[in-house]
Amino acid sequence: MSDLQQLYTAVLDGNARASKAIVEQALAEGADPQVLVTQYMIPAMDEVGRRFESNEYFVPELLISARAMKTALQIITPLLTAKGAQPIARVAIGTVKGDLHDIGKNLVSAMLEGGGFQVLDCGVDVAAEKFIEAIKTKQANVVALSALLTTTMPMMKTTIEAFKTAGVRGQIKVIIGGAPVTQKYAEEIGADGYADNASSAVTLARSLVSK
Amino acid sequence: MPIKGLSIIGESINDSVPSTRKLFDDGNMEGLLALARSQDEKGAAYIDVNIGRREPSLMAGLVRKIQGVSSKPLSIDTPDMEIAAAGLHAYDAQRAGGRLPVLNSISPLRPEMFSLFKIKPFMPILMISERVEGGQSAPNRTAEETFRTARDMVLEARRACPGITNEHLILDPGICPVGSDSEGNLKRLLDGMHLIHDDPDLKRVHASVGLSNFTVMLPQKTRKGMPLRSTLESAFLTLAMPLGVDMIIGSMARKYERLPPGHPALACLEDFVRMDGFDAILRLKDFYS
Repeated sequence: MSDLQQLYTAVLDGNARASKAIVEQALAEGADPQVLVTQYMIPAMDEVGRRFESNEYFVPELLISARAMKTALQIITPLLTAKGAQPIARVAIGTVKGDLHDIGKNLVSAMLEGGGFQVLDCGVDVAAEKFIEAIKTKQANVVALSALLTTTMPMMKTTIEAFKTAGVRGQIKVIIGGAPVTQKYAEEIGADGYADNASSAVTLARSLVSK
Repeated sequence: MPIKGLSIIGESINDSVPSTRKLFDDGNMEGLLALARSQDEKGAAYIDVNIGRREPSLMAGLVRKIQGVSSKPLSIDTPDMEIAAAGLHAYDAQRAGGRLPVLNSISPLRPEMFSLFKIKPFMPILMISERVEGGQSAPNRTAEETFRTARDMVLEARRACPGITNEHLILDPGICPVGSDSEGNLKRLLDGMHLIHDDPDLKRVHASVGLSNFTVMLPQKTRKGMPLRSTLESAFLTLAMPLGVDMIIGSMARKYERLPPGHPALACLEDFVRMDGFDAILRLKDFYS
């Protein structure tokens, strides 16, 4: 049997080639795909998040580890889906209407995927209707909104209002983030939470869906 | 001291800087004026003024007060028409030796801001990292798209601002954080600047970037204790200044310099531009690890 601790290390070090090879070998040897994800890969990404928060890791390390995670997940996810396994939650994520910034949104997507969430990336410049469609047709139960401009921030409020009008607000948790966004603003507009970086967004999403 | 041929718009008076936001929140005008003074003393060519989402009257008052302590021209930094109008009304060019203020910035999505030129002539920073296509905004992903937007915005400025000349136009090609640039943005920017630089119709047009944004989310120092962020910013300037980038919105506390050929940080960025996607990110990580 392969040494699965190496899978943890490969994800932590951002070694995509190694993470793929180890997963392939482990599966060939009969390893349970669910165990690979929950006992090795997600803990590795949690450690990436911890190092990021304590300034031992920076954005390049975070991206590289997320890629190693993603490479391994591409092999494992179809197996889990076939077994009927469910993700922690489905997150529809996007930058709000009028705003084209995608860096923060992409970092949060990568970390959420690494944290075991299914991510539905709605892109940038996203109208409320597109999120509503993801909620209704793809069963998104968390919506993550990003805005990088003070001019587009009010669109977060508009989007949440549209969720209420469409009657879907009660089905979802809404989390928001972006340079000008604050906890106070999240409270003002009735979002369920605010995260100031990609790693804390994962912690926040987990705590909201476990409630 | 700043590099010869490079004008720095001092970035400190900005509501998105947490320590400055606190000054705004506390109504600490003296603190804000101290920032203006110190940036002036450190050689800022312009002093940026960004009040966030506050009242236009605050912009007007702050512009007047800063002009009372500094003779440097100001950069009125807001996407809001009313705040910009208030700042321009209050600005007194005579106090800045007759120099025009900068309006930071006009995006292709908000051409109506050119109408503020009637209030007072200004030097607009023209955003060329995005364009309008079929009524929708779209990010520019290639050098050619960036160049085309530059041409379109310059034509729009000439049409909307009678008498404006190339010397009064500033293009902002939109710099992205290099630490997350797995999609070739730096290459787009440099190649786009090349096309702009070679166009005779755009001669003497200025170009500016928000340089602090380039190294955001990276460590201050390499594992060996060498300064990382300021060195990478200097490497960027070494590559971009020959292509016409002659202004930055940046920190007066930073030591910017042109790096000699073969400098490790310069070699890293040159490799970064040549490489694709995650290989470029790995090259950067190896440089500081």
